[in-house]
Amino acid sequence: MFIVVLSLIELEINMIRDITIGQYYQTESVIHKLDSRVKIIATLVYIISLFCFNNFSGYILAALFFLCIVKLSKVPFKFIVKGLKPIMFMLIFTAALNLLWTPGEHILFEAGVIVITLEGIKKMAFMALRLIFLIIGSSLMTLTTTPNQLTDAIEHLLRLLNYIKVPVHEVAMMMSIALRFIPILIEETDKIMKAQLARGADFESGNIIHRIKSMIPILIPLFVSAARRANDLALAMDSRCYHGGRGRTKMKPLKYKSCDFIAYFILLCYIVLLIIIRKFVPF
Amino acid sequence: MSIIMQLENVSYIYGIGSGHEKQALKNINLKINAGEFIGLVGHTGSGKSTLAQLLNGLEHATTGEIYYDGRNIYDKDYDMKSLRGNVGLVFQYPEHQLFEATVEEDVQFGPRNLGLPLLEVELRSYNALKMVGISDDLIDVSPFVLSGGQKRRVAIAGVLAMQPKLLVLDEPMAGLDPTGREEILNILRNLRDKQKITIILISHSMEDIAEYADRVIVMNKGEVVLEGEPKKIFQFEEELEKIGLGVPQSTKVIHRLRKMGADIPYSCITAEESAGAIYKWLQRV
Ligand SMILES: Nc1ncnc2c1ncn2[C@@H]1O[C@H](COP(=O)(O)OP(=O)(O)OP(=O)(O)O)[C@@H](O)[C@H]1O
Ligand SMILES: [Mg+2]
Repeated sequence: MFIVVLSLIELEINMIRDITIGQYYQTESVIHKLDSRVKIIATLVYIISLFCFNNFSGYILAALFFLCIVKLSKVPFKFIVKGLKPIMFMLIFTAALNLLWTPGEHILFEAGVIVITLEGIKKMAFMALRLIFLIIGSSLMTLTTTPNQLTDAIEHLLRLLNYIKVPVHEVAMMMSIALRFIPILIEETDKIMKAQLARGADFESGNIIHRIKSMIPILIPLFVSAARRANDLALAMDSRCYHGGRGRTKMKPLKYKSCDFIAYFILLCYIVLLIIIRKFVPF
Repeated sequence: MSIIMQLENVSYIYGIGSGHEKQALKNINLKINAGEFIGLVGHTGSGKSTLAQLLNGLEHATTGEIYYDGRNIYDKDYDMKSLRGNVGLVFQYPEHQLFEATVEEDVQFGPRNLGLPLLEVELRSYNALKMVGISDDLIDVSPFVLSGGQKRRVAIAGVLAMQPKLLVLDEPMAGLDPTGREEILNILRNLRDKQKITIILISHSMEDIAEYADRVIVMNKGEVVLEGEPKKIFQFEEELEKIGLGVPQSTKVIHRLRKMGADIPYSCITAEESAGAIYKWLQRV
């Protein structure tokens, strides 16, 4: 049991390193300056829109829309694509499933249980495109929005839940602290790993049991330091009289500017275009 | 004197290909003689820790070569594990790396990784603990219940137990009280004098460097800007202050007095020496 947990944590650490989500790309651009609420709403609308059309022209629209925003955001394209790496396996797997087991009329190839149909190819392409746009779309949001802005916006968007006694502020605070700690813990892991390497530790050779065991000299100091940091942080918050969300004001209150309204307008145009395409373009 | 380690045109860049590259080391050339006590100083962010990690192969230089005992450590068939055994590195806040259930076991981690026989492992770790002044009653307790200073010593012992020939310490005195600092420094001096271990000490304190180092290497923005004996280095008071460093207080006093025309030699660097020299000068005038 313990071993399983350890290997999961090892996997987790590697995943966090790879996933672009949560990695802000610092630069000056219109998209970076947009209100984070606009970006969250636009991303949600965009993701929903991906599941609304069933023809290729819709995807061309989605791609063009996305490319324009990437251009505006000044984030190098390779950073956005990097977000795809961790889901590559899932992507290929779903694509293959769709390709091989979609029933249809136009059979292109048949061998035993495997049947490849024209419908299957189409479905696979749609599925893959949807997944890809979904991931790179949300990556773009997190690349252009700091985790703090994101949680601020989420807190704001969900504030109505306060009335049904959901502690929105506290959850948002926990989220932003957790997000803030990810890079710190990665850095810490790196440091501890190096310190143990300097003492001759070997994380690479040996069988799986051996390798998992070799994680212990990293994990224990990591847990100790996480606990220490959490403790320090709690003390620091206490000593600054943190008492939860009630009556708390923001240092940077969220405020819509003119460019945010323009962004909403563009989003509206996108939706309208989408409806037109869905209604009137046949392929 | 033989050269134990040599760096040729070493540069290091962090985060290549990530979009925010950061050149931490620029064209470093260094020779480290066996048995030397070197003080490595520099303003924060000048690349000292990075350099330390290059020395035992934790980081690979972006360009340039590093030789240990005349052999290029970047050769394909070079045994990195033996390098890590020969070049000990004590990180900043080394107590954060402790993990075993008892002090003794933690200190044994290094020598065990070297694949030594059990008896040798036990002997080395016991000796290392004695060297840093951990008493016998603390050997079987959990390292997590020790005080900060004791943890620091245990962590240093963990590296000493590997019996490195070259020991690099990254600010080993940070956050210790004056007695603790002095004790650590004396341990280092003893290691050098009795066991002939070469020592590279990274420190912000010019006072400590003045008193203990044979040679000072001054870094600024990834480059070595000054290098030489303390008394030579401390003559460059203005240059040092320009890059955010100073000279020891006593040296400052002497420089001031010399400017006023006093005839005191530059060669006194520690507080005691300076006091003596000033006293002598006062008697003369
Ligand atoms: N893991 C890293 N990733 C990216 N940049 C780094 C990393 N570690 C250090 N740097 C950068 O490299 C430069 C040199 O850092 P280094 O830690 O070697 O400085 P230092 O001289 O040890 O400073 P200090 O006295 O504060 O410990 C710094 O500008 C730092 O920002
Ligand atoms: Mg440092």
